[in-house]
This record gives sequence, C-alpha cells and structure tokens, in this order.
Amino acid sequence: MTTISSRAPAWRGIATALAQRLLQAVLVALLVGTLCFFMTRMLPGDMAYRIAAGRYGYDMVTSAAAEAVRLELGLDRPWLAALGDWWQRLLQLDLGVSQVTAEPVMVEIERQLWPTLRLSVLAMFLSLLVGPLLGVLAGLKPGGLLDRVTLAVSVVLRALPSFLLGLVLVLVFSVKLGILPAAGHDDHGSIVLPALTLALGMAAVSCRVARDAMVQVRGSAYFAFALTKGLSMRQALLRHGLRNVAAPVIAYLGVQLVYLVEGVVLVETIFAWPGIGHALVHAIFGRDVPMIQGTALVLGLMFVLFNALVDTACAFIDPRRGAGHAA
Amino acid sequence: MTTAYSPSSDLVLDEAPRRLGRAQRAGIALLVVIALFALFGPWLVGIDPARQQLERFLEAPSLAHPLGFDQLGRSMLARLAHGARLSLSLAAISVLSAAIPGTLLGLLAAWRGGWLERVLAAFADAVLALPGLLLVLLLTAFTPGGFWPLYVGISLALWVEYFRVVRAASRILLASPHVEAARLLGFGPVHIVRRHLLPELLPRLFTLMRFGFAGAVLAMSALGFVGVGLQPPTPELGVMMIELLPYYGEAPWLIGAPVLLLFLTLLGLLLLAPEREAA
Amino acid sequence: MRRPAPVRFRRALLAAAGTALLPWHAARADDRGQPHSHVFTAAAADVLTVVGPWEMTGLDPSRAGYMFARMEVVETLLDVDGRGRLQIRLATRWQVSADGLEWRFTLRSNRRYHDGTEVTPESVLACLRRAHGRPGVLSMAGIRSIAVDSGAIVFTMARPFAPLPYLLTHSSVQILAPASFDARGNVVKIIGTGPFRITSLSLPQQFNVERFAGYGGLPIPGLVQRARYISVARAETRTLLVESGQADLAFSLDPPSIRRLQRSPKAVLLAEMLPRTTFIKLNSGHPLLADVRVRRAISLCVERQGIARALLRDPDLGATQLFPPSMRAWHDPSLPPLRTDPLAARTLLEQAGWRLGADGIRSRAGTRLALTLTTFVDRPELPLIATALQEEMRQIGIAVRVVIGNSSDIPAGHRSGALQMGLVARNFGNLPDPVATLLQDFGPEGGDWGAMGWRNGEVPGLLQRLASGTQAPPAQQQADRARVAAVLQSELPLIPVVWYRQVCATSLRIDGASIDPYERSYRISQLSWK
Repeated sequence: MTTISSRAPAWRGIATALAQRLLQAVLVALLVGTLCFFMTRMLPGDMAYRIAAGRYGYDMVTSAAAEAVRLELGLDRPWLAALGDWWQRLLQLDLGVSQVTAEPVMVEIERQLWPTLRLSVLAMFLSLLVGPLLGVLAGLKPGGLLDRVTLAVSVVLRALPSFLLGLVLVLVFSVKLGILPAAGHDDHGSIVLPALTLALGMAAVSCRVARDAMVQVRGSAYFAFALTKGLSMRQALLRHGLRNVAAPVIAYLGVQLVYLVEGVVLVETIFAWPGIGHALVHAIFGRDVPMIQGTALVLGLMFVLFNALVDTACAFIDPRRGAGHAA
Repeated sequence: MTTAYSPSSDLVLDEAPRRLGRAQRAGIALLVVIALFALFGPWLVGIDPARQQLERFLEAPSLAHPLGFDQLGRSMLARLAHGARLSLSLAAISVLSAAIPGTLLGLLAAWRGGWLERVLAAFADAVLALPGLLLVLLLTAFTPGGFWPLYVGISLALWVEYFRVVRAASRILLASPHVEAARLLGFGPVHIVRRHLLPELLPRLFTLMRFGFAGAVLAMSALGFVGVGLQPPTPELGVMMIELLPYYGEAPWLIGAPVLLLFLTLLGLLLLAPEREAA
Repeated sequence: MRRPAPVRFRRALLAAAGTALLPWHAARADDRGQPHSHVFTAAAADVLTVVGPWEMTGLDPSRAGYMFARMEVVETLLDVDGRGRLQIRLATRWQVSADGLEWRFTLRSNRRYHDGTEVTPESVLACLRRAHGRPGVLSMAGIRSIAVDSGAIVFTMARPFAPLPYLLTHSSVQILAPASFDARGNVVKIIGTGPFRITSLSLPQQFNVERFAGYGGLPIPGLVQRARYISVARAETRTLLVESGQADLAFSLDPPSIRRLQRSPKAVLLAEMLPRTTFIKLNSGHPLLADVRVRRAISLCVERQGIARALLRDPDLGATQLFPPSMRAWHDPSLPPLRTDPLAARTLLEQAGWRLGADGIRSRAGTRLALTLTTFVDRPELPLIATALQEEMRQIGIAVRVVIGNSSDIPAGHRSGALQMGLVARNFGNLPDPVATLLQDFGPEGGDWGAMGWRNGEVPGLLQRLASGTQAPPAQQQADRARVAAVLQSELPLIPVVWYRQVCATSLRIDGASIDPYERSYRISQLSWK
C-alpha cells in the first residue's frame, strides 16, 4: 500500500463539501433567526422595560421611559406578521438596529469582528504550535515520561473552566511577573493572555489526538517498511509519518472549533476583550435581541467558514478520505 | 467491560479490549468513590446546605467541618455533597438524553438512507453550527432558573455528535458482509443492531460521553457566569465555581473543592478508556 | 529537490499565521516608543487609566452621559461640591422670582467648546430643550418652557419647584457643542467644554482623553495630561488590573477584592459612604404584604449587621434606617434603629394569624406564606444578599423564591403589579437634593424604585411641601423631613438592609485622589504624578 504522496486532491470532493457548507450556513441563519424571534415573544417580563434599562441605566429607568421605547420599537404587533417580517429582513441581511445603543447591528458587528478574528486565529495558531508538537513527541515514546505528563496536563486543562485558567495565567504573568497586561486591548501584548487561555484548552485535546495518531502511525506497516528501507527515524517521520498524523489532527480541528467559539465568549468577558463574544454576553444581559441574533449569526457563520477551510485542508492532506468527511 | 465477540472488517474500527488493565481499574475505583459520595454524601453529612450562619463566614476547615464554611456561613462539605449529586445527575441525564436519541437517529439515518438521512444530516449540521452555549442560553432565557431548560438545552447541543458518529460508523458496518449475511438469514433490525452494531459503537459512544459529561458540568458554570444559572440557594458544582471565584485569595479551598471533584471525575472517566484507543 | 508535501504544508501554515499577525502589529501604532515605568503591563508613563464596570451604550447624554462627565469631558450649568452645595460652572449666577415660577441662569462668557466654537446661550438652550424633551430628570420639575433672554437662560415653571438647580447638575443635562449633533438631532460626537477632550472613542468599551488647551474655566491643579477609561465587566479582573499596575483608578470593587487589596503594597484604597441604600421594595398592595405586621416581621428577621460584616466586609454598613448618615439633612440619629429579633418576628406572624406548617412554612386558611424576591446581577452583591435574605426569611417561616433577572424587571413588575418583593439599591444622591428623587419614589402612586401599593396620606403631601417650599422656615423643613423618615421607619413600605460604601483603589503612581460622594466626577483634573 502506498503512502499518501502528493497527488492532486479530489476537486469534486471539495466542491461537494463546500456546497454542503453553504447549505449549512443558510440553515444556521434560519435557525438562529427563528430562535431569536421566539425569544422576543417569549422572554419573561417586558421587553420594553429591559431595553429601556439597558439604554438609560438602571438609576434612570422609569415606566415613562419604557412606554417611549415600546412605541418606538412597535413591540405589540401580532406574532405571525412579525415573523414574516423577520424572515424577510434576515434574508436580505438586514440585521436591524441594536435595541440598546440604536446603532445598526452591522456596524457594531464590524467593529467587534476584527478583534475576535485576531484572537481566534492567534489562539488556533498557538494551539497548533503547542499541541500536535508535544503530541507527536509523546507518541514517539508511548508510556514514557512525556506521554504521562502530557496526559496529566491535558486532563487538568480539560477539567478546568476557562475562566479559572485565565485567572491563573493572569496571576502568574501579570501580577507576579508583570510582563503581560491583565486585560484591555491596547497595551503591548494584550492579546497574548486571552489567546493563550484559549490555546491551552484546545492544545490539550489536539495533543492527545496527535499522540494517538502518532502511536498508530508508528505501529503501522508502512512506517516499519520505511525504517527497514534504511531511512532514519527523522526522515521516515518527515516523509511518511507527519502527513498521516496531520490528517486526524486537522479533522479534529473541526470539533475543536466548537470549543473555540464557545471559549471566545467566556474569555473575551474575562479579559475585557472587545470582540463578538463580549458583545453576545452583553446583549444577553440587556435582552438586546437584534444583537443576540447578529452576534450568534456571525459566530455560527464563522464556525461554518472555518469548517469549510478545515475540509479543504483535509482534502489536501488526505485525498483518500475526500473532503468533508470529518471523524 | 465484556463485549460480545464480533469481528470487524474495517481497519477503522478496532477490537474492543477483553481485559481490564490497571488504569481501568483505577478509573472504575475513582468513579465508584465519587458516585458513592454523590449518592450517600448528603445523607451522611446530614447538614442542611442552605442553613447559613453569617457570623461563621469563610471559616477555615476544622475537624468538625472539614471544608469549613462558605461566604454565607453554609457548610461547604454539605454543599459539595449536594452539589455533586445535583451536577453529576444533571450531567448524566443530559448526556444520556443526548446519546439515546442521537444514537437512534443515527441508526435510523444509516439504515434507511436516502432523503431521510440527508435531511437529518443537514439538520444536525445546522444545529452543530450554533454555539452550544447560545442554544442553552436561548432556552434558559424563557424560564430562568429552571432545571428543564438546562437539560433540554444541553442535550440538544450534544446529540449531534452522537448522531454523526453513529451514522458514520453504522454506514460502514451495515455494508459489511456479516450484516448482509444476517439480513439474508432473515434477522430483524433489532437483532442486527444488538449483535453487530452496538458492540462496535459503544466504545466510541463512550468516548463521546466522557467529554460530554465534563462539558455538561462546565456548561453549567458558563451559564452561571453569564447570569442565567440555577437560582439560589441550589448547590451545583458549576455555579459554585463561579460564586466562589472571588474568594480564591482568602479561601482557596472553597473553589478548590468543586474543581478537584470535577477533575477527579474526569480523570476517572479518562482512565476507563482502553490504552490504544484511536481519537 | 522539492520539499515533501507535509513540510510545505507546515510552512504554508506558518506563513499564513504570520501574515495574520502582521495586521495586528500594524494596528498597534499608538503607544509605541513611550518610556515605560513598569516593565510591560503599565500603560505609557503619563496616561492615567481608570477602570470601572460601566459601559458606554451610546453617546446620548441620557445613556452614557455620566461617563463623559466623570472623565471631565463635558460640563453642566451647575456643579455640587462634596457636601452637596451648589457651585457655579457654566452658569455664573442664578435667581428665582418671588412666586417661584421663573428661574434665570446667567451664563459665563468667553467659554469655548473643544472644537473652538464659542459657548453661546443659543447652543446651551438647544441642549437644555433636548434634555427636557426626552425621559430624564427635567421631566420631574414641571417646566413649562425654556428660553433665552439677553444672554441668560430662563425657565418658566408650571408650579414652584425648589430643587431645579440641583436638576441642572445632573449629567444628562450636559452641554454639548452644536457640532456634536447630526441633522436628526442624534449625538455623533462628544464635544464638550470640560478640561479634557476626547482623542479616541471605541464604543462600547474604552475612550481616551487629553488636556484641552483652551479651557477657560476653573483652575486645574493637577498634572495629568492624558487619561483613558476602560470598561471591565468582572470585578476580579478590575482588581487584577490594579495589582498588576495596569490601572490607576479602579471603581466598584467587590468585598473580597477589597480585602486582598488592603494587604497589597501596590494599591491605596479610598472609601466614601455614598447616599445609596440597598432595600427590599415591598408590594404593600399584595394580600400577603398589606398587613404591616408581616412587613415588620420581615424587617425583624433581616440580619443587617451579619450581612454587612459577612458580605460587604464592613460592619458599619448595617442600615438602621432608610437614609444613610451621609445624607445629613435626612438621616435622623434620634430615630429608633431597625433591629434584628427573629423571635419577635415569629410572634408578630403568629399574631397576624400565620401558623407554622409541617414543612416549616407558615400558612393561614390554606394560603402558604410564599413570596418571590426579584433582584438583578448588575450590582454583584445583590444576588448574594438576596440569598442571605431568603434563608433568613425561611427561618421565620416564609418561603422565598429568588428570581435573578435584569434590572428592568423591577419597574416592569411595579407597573404590572406582579412584583412581590424586590431587592434594590437606590441612589438617593442621583440628584444632590434628594427631595426630587423621593418625590418620584413616594408620590401618590408610589414609584418604580420606591413604594408600591402603599396608601399613605402624609408622606406625599410632606414631600410636595418640601419641593415647593421656598418660604418655609428651616425648622419646619427639618420637622417635615424627620416626619417622613419616621413614617417610613414605622410603616416599612421599603425595608432597608444595608448602606453602601464606595471603595476606589488607586495605584501608587498618583497623588491627590479622592472620591466624589455624588459620583459625578473622577476628579482626574486634581491628580498629579508622584
């Protein structure tokens, strides 16, 4: 059986996968839209009061203010008509206006998207740097010291909530050592600690995945054959091993993206990072439904997009599986 | 954990292990201890977890009260025991109520194929693209502080993984010669599922359940973080982690207790897995 | 030899990540090249960093106007000092007609906005009219019209309203340049008259300010040239920012953080008692709460000292009456203090006919004594206090369900009549003269943040008299205020729990910090570097 050589990836497979992703994106939009619509109707309490409190601050909010808001936003129309309107607007990508700040949701999201993208990409990069590397090294000697240490550390990191991990990192790097800022976004290196918090959680999983894959590769026939052929360990690894290890790691990236997207929400709140996750939490507090819809939509679409990228990468790495065939 | 013998015809699926290694035994022991603590701890400790004595707030651990008192003067050990029971049962129910429908739907999709499978797959993909946290938030926003939205929300967010894994694996298995032969012999679907599919699926499902379990408890703490967690004075591990976070400086044992409990539970689950499991 | 595929892939990945980081590098053009006094974490040496939990939800004065006022970017017509006495600001003089129906405010001349334009009476009038037209403090006063007359602003009232000047100190009545508004009247920029002007604004989280060279107002003793405000939602993060040296002023700290910072060498703590009280707002119209004995019983079971000591770490904050000592005119030391006596509470409930059931909860004629307590997370200590209260009430036989929601649940519940009990923290110093606030809270229909369903003949009348009474002698006013306090103490439409002490952490880099008890200003113009 030949190893995976540099054959052309299955373009047809990629096209199918991308079409699937497109369909997924549309379905996500519809699902988010419907849920958010029902939220406006079914939230306990009065929407108008919530919005007024979010706008004027709780010391100033009164019934008169809430009445003004209710009139302004037309919150008492029959629900069927409103749902139709909702669909229409969503499909035209009209995300409406934030009920708290009265700015268009698109504008707010544009402002917040870039910090979140920066954070996510850096976190992904760091986790890929740390996780698979340690995993491969651990897999080379299963049962050895590095293997056991990475297992222990990975379990600890998976069991720790992200806010605790963030707290520990801040205590070590900001308070004790004073080399990184604890929060905010415009000091030198503000991005490092939030990215590291996310990356460590993800690296914990990709490390084990890489390790298991490495163990499997090492035990496989073609690897043994490569060694018998006379290649050194390093050459065998580079030429035959890594690509096969990379395949499940890249495939598992798709699953880790869920962790990333959810982690972004918590980490941005802890570190006061002005991104989409931060906006989502505040929108939920303020019951600002257009913002909830907008941010949830963006997060969902971002996830779909990253998955599509992962599929393409999968296809390049492993043409056997074809694209879009996650574990 | 014994399994019925069933040969696999594909390199992707490994054989189930036959004997329990040392790690597995340690894992089982750990889980049994935690389960006993969760089941009988509240009764053994005997202190009301809601009873507060404000003058004893943040009291250090002593012989009579091994974990001291929390910020409202409530016995931490009692709260931990009740919290363990609540959280672990909540997580278990969520995971099971995600796994069972997910598995059934996956089997259904793989068995029937055709448009039903495609529709289910598309729906699963759409749900998976929603951040699970958001789904639960939306549902809990309808009835804040209730248990049912949490169960339903977490299950809804989790079932997709089971669906996909089961569907992918079942498709391969159903195409195998053994199943074909069984079909030709006239065995019904229930029998085929029981004898041929489940033994292969259970190890993978179990892997998912492990991480799903920890994920469910951490999801509770995330919800508490955002402000839609369970209402006071309900003791629950995730919410306790949030509540006790500000006291990490002056009473680190308070937040250490639920974190350690969760860590041990996850460790136990992790140790249960066979050594050469593929990702 | 062409590199094998996996290596190429890895290199491509690294290159992609590298390019992803480049824009980040480029976007960080600001704080470069500044000398750092701390290693990495502190801001540039001369930028003062203020952190707090409040976010800018918009630019409109009624939304986040207070934040710009606190950073001294915008000013109001009048000011108050630390003791609540009116000070001149954009207005130099004010007088009221004999019948109390006309007020004249003379404006200061030669003042300029941050964009260089002159502060004209017309521009001030436009701002005042705008504030009057929206929900806000000015709607309380019964203003009939506002006009300009030979360089002065004239208010014509529908009825006498003595606290009008205090209303004009509120940050929602801030004065902005005409260029701040767009064609539809929305605020698009903040161009004020204060000693600092905005250099950059990233909603909703942060804004940077620097000294305004053309400030013609009061002299500024401080040396701080540049400052920034960062909104940080979590209290632990605010504390960590102080401990790491990144923040110079941090507000709204939670009690465990205060404990930590007391022992830290990196921060100095300032404390000031604010006119803010945390109380239980009761629906006195509810069948279970209409009986004053039940309300008194609830008040007797609240362990105020215990809550103050355990949750707020400050035993002095246990409320003895509704008005804290910092409200000098309203706090009556001779009033018998609210006490804690669970036994007396149980006796009262028994007298009112509530018998203890088998589950420890009282009932009467088949009705259980069960109530809901609504509160919100905007202030971190409230849910904790609610939990403590829930247990205390359970001990005397009242079953309480705590509902934690949004702050708008309280006015909503008041309006719909669904609210039973609400745990609220009310700032009586919202306006430096509390009469206007109290009028809102204890008017004939009660108030969103005040009494609910409470029919009392005396208090609304007394408050009206105080509001209009420019002629009444001080002794009469004092007697009126004492009577209001006494009635509230006895009838308990609101059950006070604890008072509030604002704690601010300051870093060691700055000198001259102080807390404004009315929360109107961070006083950064008074600060200097050590």
